[in-house]
Amino acid sequence: MSDRWDDDELVAALREAVRARQAVPPEFVQAGKSAFAWHNIDAELAQLTYDSSRDTLYEPSLRAEAASIRALTFTAPDLVIELEVSDDSLLGQIVPAQRGTVRVQLADGPETAVPADEIGCFAIRPIPSRPFRLYCQTAAGTEALTGWITL
Amino acid sequence: MREDLSVTALVTRVGEGDQEAWNEIVERYAPLVWSICRRYQLDRADIDDVGQSVWLLLVEHIGSLREAAALPGWLATTTRHECLRVLRAGRRRDHADLPPDEQMPDDPAAATIEQELIEAERNAAIRAALAELPDRCRELISMLISDPPSAYAEISAALGIAVGSIGPIRARCLDRLRQSPHLAGFLTDEAQDVEVKQVGR
Repeated sequence: MSDRWDDDELVAALREAVRARQAVPPEFVQAGKSAFAWHNIDAELAQLTYDSSRDTLYEPSLRAEAASIRALTFTAPDLVIELEVSDDSLLGQIVPAQRGTVRVQLADGPETAVPADEIGCFAIRPIPSRPFRLYCQTAAGTEALTGWITL
Repeated sequence: MREDLSVTALVTRVGEGDQEAWNEIVERYAPLVWSICRRYQLDRADIDDVGQSVWLLLVEHIGSLREAAALPGWLATTTRHECLRVLRAGRRRDHADLPPDEQMPDDPAAATIEQELIEAERNAAIRAALAELPDRCRELISMLISDPPSAYAEISAALGIAVGSIGPIRARCLDRLRQSPHLAGFLTDEAQDVEVKQVGR
């Protein structure tokens, strides 16, 4: 085949392929491998069903004014978790309104917990600066785990 | 029998909780994530942030990818979104007084990201093919592609083959590489063009 790469082209492609891999720091690759520790979590997953920043991402000119307040909604079969990012805290509400506990899980660190009051409201301070997920347990025993959140 | 290292097979094994298969996916595609971050000129801390988000999102979504072969494209798109997120957050911190539209980061054209994706997929296929060559071929090729390339005299001394045999052995090893199933569809200029059309839509 005349248009098949000749030896020199193939060697050049090999050199580029190996160079591209060597340009990536080993810690970066290792961090990616470690992420697998988070697979196979049992709780009911709450799916991200609304993210105001994704709206602005796709339609910057239409929604840019909303960029300063980010709102997220996670939906699980039995409850909804609403989140709003304010200047210094993350405010949330469990819907339908009920008491519970919200655990904040950092991908690479310890876990903290905050209470949700009788109308399901909770506040997380400070705003986590690294990826995290929320694990909600209501007083009635319903559980829901959000996907990873980065703010 | 050799393990099936196609993306589809790896994704299936990851779904069964196989850490080794996950590691292989990360090894293969970390350069893609990295190079897209570099396109956005992120600093190292932001690249680490994007990387962590992308891999966590993949852990979460890998079971629901409709087609395993779409994985590289999914990674490219997700990395791009995460880069934009990090840039937006940075601009808001640094330029809180600017109107929102001027806080928007530069976005390298989608075509540039598609090009990164095409190159990264080809590079990953070439590395996968190289990894499966017999040791002697791999050693020889490693010396040939080192920077600066090793002289034939050095190669001869290191691998214990006569200088006159290096050329023919090199040709045989490269032929073997061409036959790798990983490289099916990658090695002709024609294949390149077809790919650009498909991915570029």
